[in-house]
This record gives sequence, C-alpha cells and structure tokens, in this order.
Amino acid sequence: MAIRTWGIIGTGLMGRGISELVASKGFDVIVVGHTPAELEAARQSLDLSLQHQIEHWAITEAEKKVTMARVQYTTDLTQLAHADFVLHALIADLEEDKQIFRTLDQICRKDVILASNTSTLSITEIAAATYRPDRVIGCHYVTPYTKTRVVEIVRGLKTSDSTVAEVKALVEALDRTGVEVYEATGYVTTRLIVPLINEACAVLMEGVATADDIDTAMRLGFEMARGPLETADQIGLDTVLIMCERLWREYGEVRYRPSRILKKLVRAGQLGVATGEGFFKYDKNGHRIKNGGAR
Amino acid sequence: MMVLVLNCGSSSLKYQLLNMETEQLLATGLVQRIGMEDAGFEYKVPGGKEIKEVTSILDHTAGIKKTLAALTHPEYGVVKSMDEITAVGHRVVHGGEAFTSSVLITDEVKSTLRALFDLAPLHNPPNLTGILAAEAALPGKPQVGVFDTAFHQTMPRTSFLYALPYAMYKRHKVRRYGFHGTSHRYVSERLAANLGKSLDEMKVITCHLGNGSSVAAILNGKSFDTSMGFTPLEGLIMGTRSGDVDPGALFYIMQREELTVQELNSMLNKHAGMKGVSGISSDARQIEEEMEKGEARAKETFDMVEYRLRKYIGAYAAAMNGVDAIIFTGGIGENSNLLRGAVCRNLTYLGVELDAEINNTRSKKERTISTPGSKVQVWVIPTNEELVIARDTVAVVGAANR
Repeated sequence: MAIRTWGIIGTGLMGRGISELVASKGFDVIVVGHTPAELEAARQSLDLSLQHQIEHWAITEAEKKVTMARVQYTTDLTQLAHADFVLHALIADLEEDKQIFRTLDQICRKDVILASNTSTLSITEIAAATYRPDRVIGCHYVTPYTKTRVVEIVRGLKTSDSTVAEVKALVEALDRTGVEVYEATGYVTTRLIVPLINEACAVLMEGVATADDIDTAMRLGFEMARGPLETADQIGLDTVLIMCERLWREYGEVRYRPSRILKKLVRAGQLGVATGEGFFKYDKNGHRIKNGGAR
Repeated sequence: MMVLVLNCGSSSLKYQLLNMETEQLLATGLVQRIGMEDAGFEYKVPGGKEIKEVTSILDHTAGIKKTLAALTHPEYGVVKSMDEITAVGHRVVHGGEAFTSSVLITDEVKSTLRALFDLAPLHNPPNLTGILAAEAALPGKPQVGVFDTAFHQTMPRTSFLYALPYAMYKRHKVRRYGFHGTSHRYVSERLAANLGKSLDEMKVITCHLGNGSSVAAILNGKSFDTSMGFTPLEGLIMGTRSGDVDPGALFYIMQREELTVQELNSMLNKHAGMKGVSGISSDARQIEEEMEKGEARAKETFDMVEYRLRKYIGAYAAAMNGVDAIIFTGGIGENSNLLRGAVCRNLTYLGVELDAEINNTRSKKERTISTPGSKVQVWVIPTNEELVIARDTVAVVGAANR
C-alpha cells in the first residue's frame, strides 16, 4: 500500500519540523497535539516558516497554500486511523511511549508502520507493547528538520526486512539519505553530538572562550554549518539534557554527565530556539540574532 | 487508425484521442491530482459531451484506465472498444543526445530514458511513469516517444557548445539542447505547406511564446540554433523565468542574500521573468491590460520582453545570413497583436512590413500578417503539438510494421 498520509504525533520543534518537511514533499499530514492552542501555535509556525521561504525565493505563494492545505490538525488520536504511516515525534519516557504505541496499535490499520523518532529509547521495548513488532521501527530525524539530509533508520529486534525497505524508500521520497543503525542508545548522531556539546559547555564554564568564540572556532575550524552551542539551542536544551542523562545512565561514562550550565539554563527555562534564548538569542523565525545574541 | 496522445506530469495527465485517417480530434481531457482521493477527471468531445468528475485516482495507470473507460463509454464514448485504439504517443521532454527523432518504445529505450533522468529531473521521470502506466493499461499496443529536444539535435556544434571547459561537455553532457522542438518543427512545416514550397533553401525564425518561450533559427528545414539551452531557463523573458542573465550576477546574489543553490534555482524559475520584473503578474495578458491603463512598470516589462525577443530575431537573422519568414506561435504568439506589432515595427531594416489591420484582427487560423510587398513574410500559425505526436506515432508504428 502506497503511503500518502502521514500521522505525526507531537507539535514541538520535532513534530513541527518533520510535518513541514513531509508536507512540502507532497504528502498529506495529520498532526496530533494535546490542545487546540498548541495545534494553532504549530499551524502559525508552519505559516511563518513557509512565509520565510517565500522571502528567500524558495517557494511561491501558491506552493505555500498547497503545503498548508496538506496539513490537518487534531487533538483526536483516533484520526490516525486514516494515516498510512505514523511517526511519534515527542520526547517522552519509555512508559509513556509504550502506552502511546499500544494505543496506536489499536487505532491504525494492521499494515501501517509505526515509527518513533526517539534516539535514546529502545525500539525493541516500544515494539513489544504492540501486536505488530515487525512493523515498528525507529526513524531518527536530525534538527533542523527541514534542512538536515540524514535519517537514522533503526531496527528493533523484530523489525522486518520489508518494514526497513519501505521506510528506506519513504526516506528517499523525502530527498533524505537513510543510514541503517542497530539499536544502541544514541545511535550515531546523538551519541557523537552530545559529548561535543557537553565539552563545549565545559569550555564555556572554565572561561576558556566566549560562547560566540567557541562556536566560531568550531564552525570555521571544522567547516560545520553551526557550532556545538548553537546546535544545542537548535535541538532544545531540555532535549539535550534528557539525551545526556539517558546516555549517561546507559553507558555510565562520565563524558555524558550533563554539564552544570546546561542544567542551569534548562531550570531557568532558557531552552534555545524554542524559547528565543539559550546559549544565544533568536528571533521569531528561529534565526540567531547577530551581535548581542551571545552570552 | 486511432492514436491516443499522452502528456504525463508528476501528478497530472493530459490526453487526446485522434482519428489519424482524418486527423480529427475525437476527445480530449485531463486528469489532475493523481494519487489523491479527490483527483479531478475531465473529458470532452469537441462540440459534444463534457464531463468533470472528482474521484479517487491513485496512480497513472488508474488515470489511463479511467480515460479509456470514458473513451469507450456506451453513451458518451467515441470508440466502441479499446481494440480500435492502434497506438499510444507520448510527449517526452528530454531525449538528450540519444534521440534525434521519435522512436518506438522498447526496453532499451526505457533504460536510456532512465539514464536521462539527471538531465530533466522534473519531467522525464513522470514521462516514463506515463509510458509504464500506458503499457499496463493497454498491453500489447505499440507506444512511441516524441521528444521536445529531438528537433534541435541538428544544431551544429558551434551553436550547441557552451564556452565552458570542454570537460563539462564530455563528463556531464552540458550543452545547449533546446526545447519546444515539436512546436518549432510543426509551425515551420505548416509554413512550407501554406507557401507550397519546400523548407530546403528557406531561412525561418520561429517564435514559440507561451508560459515558457523560445525562438529557433531554422535553416533549410533544420534547427540551426535555439534560445533555450541546457535547461528551459535560458533565452527569452518568460512568465516567471528570467531567461538570459549574467552568471556573475548570480554568484553575487547568492552571497548577498545568503541563498542556497535550490533557492537561487527557484528564484530564477518561479520568481523572475515578467512576474519578477513587473511585480504584477506572470500573465502577459494582464501585463498588457495594466500597460494600457498606463501602469509604468507593466509598460517597462512589456518593452523588456519585446526587446529581448527582437534581439534574438536579429541575432538569428545574422546567424543564418538572412531570414525569409518569421512565425509567431504559442499562447502569446498567437494572441498578442501588441507584442507582434511592437517587434515587427522595429524590424523594418530586415525588410519586414506589417499589415497592421490583419495583425489586429483576432483569428484562430493560420495567416500571414505582413504586407504582400514585405521582403520577410510574417506568419501566425497556431501550434498543435499533439497532432505532431500523433503523426509521428503513425509513422513510427508504420515503419516498424514494415
């Protein structure tokens, strides 16, 4: 069965970013959120993001309209009965994830693939909560979702070969490259970026360099699009903190122990792009405010 | 002999059924939003039944089956059964250097088409999808591919090579291909038929002016040069496409506006041209309306479009060392007496003498709009790409059966 309609659970940065990507590639999307207000905020953010693309000549007014029309918003999880593929794009803990997948297993057609965007929870455990562990898979998108061109495709113990093949084709339809990884907390991207961010926090705390200089050095030194601290702001500092803690718990390595400055910013509610301020300051479009944006 | 002509886009399909004994159009229509639950199906018999329907059409094969069902419908169909349809002709955008004329579709042709995907990533994949779908819906019927680029394959190397490092041509086949070939060929052949002359020893400039526009220099019946190049972006100012621009300006824009390659591509293809310059519309009719109301930017846009076109005509007259006839075709070429008039008034040095009255008379007929004394004949010839595709299909299938 060809996949035409995606179900995406979550209206955070991840849910918004992935639904924009998917809709812009011609799929219909059903976005499920907790409250109407949250969904309205997601709709507005899609509008803003597409408007910004028009200003950057990337799309036309007509294309924006078409993309907007492809996305439906609902608080009713049972709407996902109409979806051909469902992606869970919320950061939650294992118990919550299992509960959602158990519910999805009942709502969605039998042949529908249920995917999780988690990079730190076990797909095998999540899959075990359903009666279709062969159709459960991990699809880990990397922020910024509309730009980054890689998706980690994660097999659980029982994920079938055909499920992997279908998801690979789906990822290609989004003009992304799929990298197949085996289940191991953090896979490749999260496991490598978290210690880099954590070490950048240490360098900042020790007063070796300013946040701006740390990022500039890494950006120019290694031809990165963004430095580690701006990357952390993009991911969301609360998310980075959760990733650190899960990696630390799993591997017990000190390099994953979350830096104090990270905890401090999260406690202060400075979560990065999502709240307009993290290590740097951001405007409504999520663009870094140059000069004066650095801590 | 009935021929079904198909023009497949990524989510659309245009079709015509022609009786090739009489070259009469039996039915025409389109399928839109293929792959959606609310796909649109349209079917029209000239001077007869017209049907519009919103229904679920999940792929191109289903779209073709739906079309066939309408064509053979007991009440409003135009043929009794599918057996009456002899062959299928497909419009294919890019034939690269592999196809210099229309061909019978074979497995080898299909694999060559796949190899050409890189040259026309937007158009060739859906064209092939259409071919596969027609094979599935009409098993055993011969299929023919007719290429937009084929007619221009006669261009000499001096016309088609760019002055880039030669390795770019050797490695990536970067060269001028030209498009709208079916149209340029058709109108030049119609001119010859009207004059009762052979195209040999004639110098013709054809202007296909529509959503996309191109000019071709046709020397002795063969394309000698054309304004569209490696992609349909080069040449004339079009609805939303820039046409010629200094590549150096583009690097500067990319830097200043911090644009990616895709964003720049989109700017030049979708935000430029008449729409970009005027800020009013990509539609030439609307530009002309605003111009007549005295809108300065519309006037300037019109003047730019006219000037660019006239420069190309002058260039091609020089390229061929003369010109015997100029032909206007395509939506704008056939309907805009303003544009035709403005271009021709400034070509008197070539010996063009326009009959203003005939030029201003609206008509759907093939007609000359120059005076009898004009040294260069100027014609308006409505294009008919579907008819060319159907004719080529008949010829190719006939040759294959021989």
